[in-house]
Amino acid sequence: MNFLAASIESLGAKVVGWFTVGYAMAAFLARAGLLLLEPATWNRATFDVVVKQVYFTAVQILHVFLGYALVISWLIITIILSTARDFGLTEFASEMTIRVLVLELLPFLTALFVALRSGSAINTEVALMQVNSELDALAHCKVPPMQFEFLPRLVGGVVSVVTLAGLAGLLALLMGYLAIYGVNTAGFEPYTRTIAKIFDFKIMAGLLVKCALFGLAVTLIPVTAGLETPKKLFMVPVSVLRGMMRVFFAIVAIEVVSLALKYI
Amino acid sequence: MAAVVALPDDVARVSHELPLRANLSALDNIALIPIYQRHFSVGESNQQALQLLDQLGHADIASLRDPDMTPAQRFVTKLARALILKRPRLVIDRPGAMLYDVSYPAFIRQLAMQATMAGTWEIFDFSWNRVLYNE
Repeated sequence: MNFLAASIESLGAKVVGWFTVGYAMAAFLARAGLLLLEPATWNRATFDVVVKQVYFTAVQILHVFLGYALVISWLIITIILSTARDFGLTEFASEMTIRVLVLELLPFLTALFVALRSGSAINTEVALMQVNSELDALAHCKVPPMQFEFLPRLVGGVVSVVTLAGLAGLLALLMGYLAIYGVNTAGFEPYTRTIAKIFDFKIMAGLLVKCALFGLAVTLIPVTAGLETPKKLFMVPVSVLRGMMRVFFAIVAIEVVSLALKYI
Repeated sequence: MAAVVALPDDVARVSHELPLRANLSALDNIALIPIYQRHFSVGESNQQALQLLDQLGHADIASLRDPDMTPAQRFVTKLARALILKRPRLVIDRPGAMLYDVSYPAFIRQLAMQATMAGTWEIFDFSWNRVLYNE
């Protein structure tokens, strides 16, 4: 009986904990959204932090990321093409390549890439700021941390993920063309027709929203996880661990929902 | 200590409990305030911050970040940040916790002579350190 009561109590505490975390994230996002609409938010300093954030998240890693996208795209395209040839389905190869790579795999891998590189750094930095009372110091100086520290990270994250996923997608389209038709213009018309058939307005909007949500997940969750950190230095790794687990679940959840909306 | 924590909004505090932003230079830490409070441009704010550091005799630390500073340099940056707030009272809270590498009463006195500030400077320190101020 005691065991049952303890189990129910523990489950209840976990559910309450999830709701608390969810509520804190939603409240933070609402506050950031409202602040985003205020013209006063967009002073030169905030804009500079956004630019810096985009630079560190997207530009600094561009060559590594594009190399990684190139290898993955080449491998997946080769697998799809050889499988399609084996089953006599070559005419569907280009559509399959675009759907698998550009719509699903590359945005997902981009989000994972940015989460592992920038999300973990953001989580650690915010947690350290919280532990070291740097946020208290900013508040004492009446420098709003939301405007100066957090909002630029959210905006930078969204811009970076959308841009990187877009670039990787374009690269995959180019690789797909070269793999299917080779270095000539003969396949240009059927290939562009396939692209136009797949990328209707609904699909484009869905892809953009999905990438934006990925960008938000890899920045919003680490920021809120960092802010939850108790003022104890040894809690920083725990905060990063929790934050990164939440980011992973959020990315998977966004992908699953997107797949379900598209194909079910 | 409760007296320091409960200080009103018109007080600029220099305290080890109010650290600098670790990934910003001394200049950026100070320049943030004119940007966000008085809506100056980045260039103008940087100029004001540099002028203040120069007045305190430490213009050379402008590009240093918190981990690269000596305790005295860190204190000067915190002091400049507090001065640029332009609040009528300036409270230096337990200077010994921040200035453990210099004889701090003399150091603060020297900085006070260089800085131009309309308001008052107050030092909150432990009573057993009173003797240091009489030297």
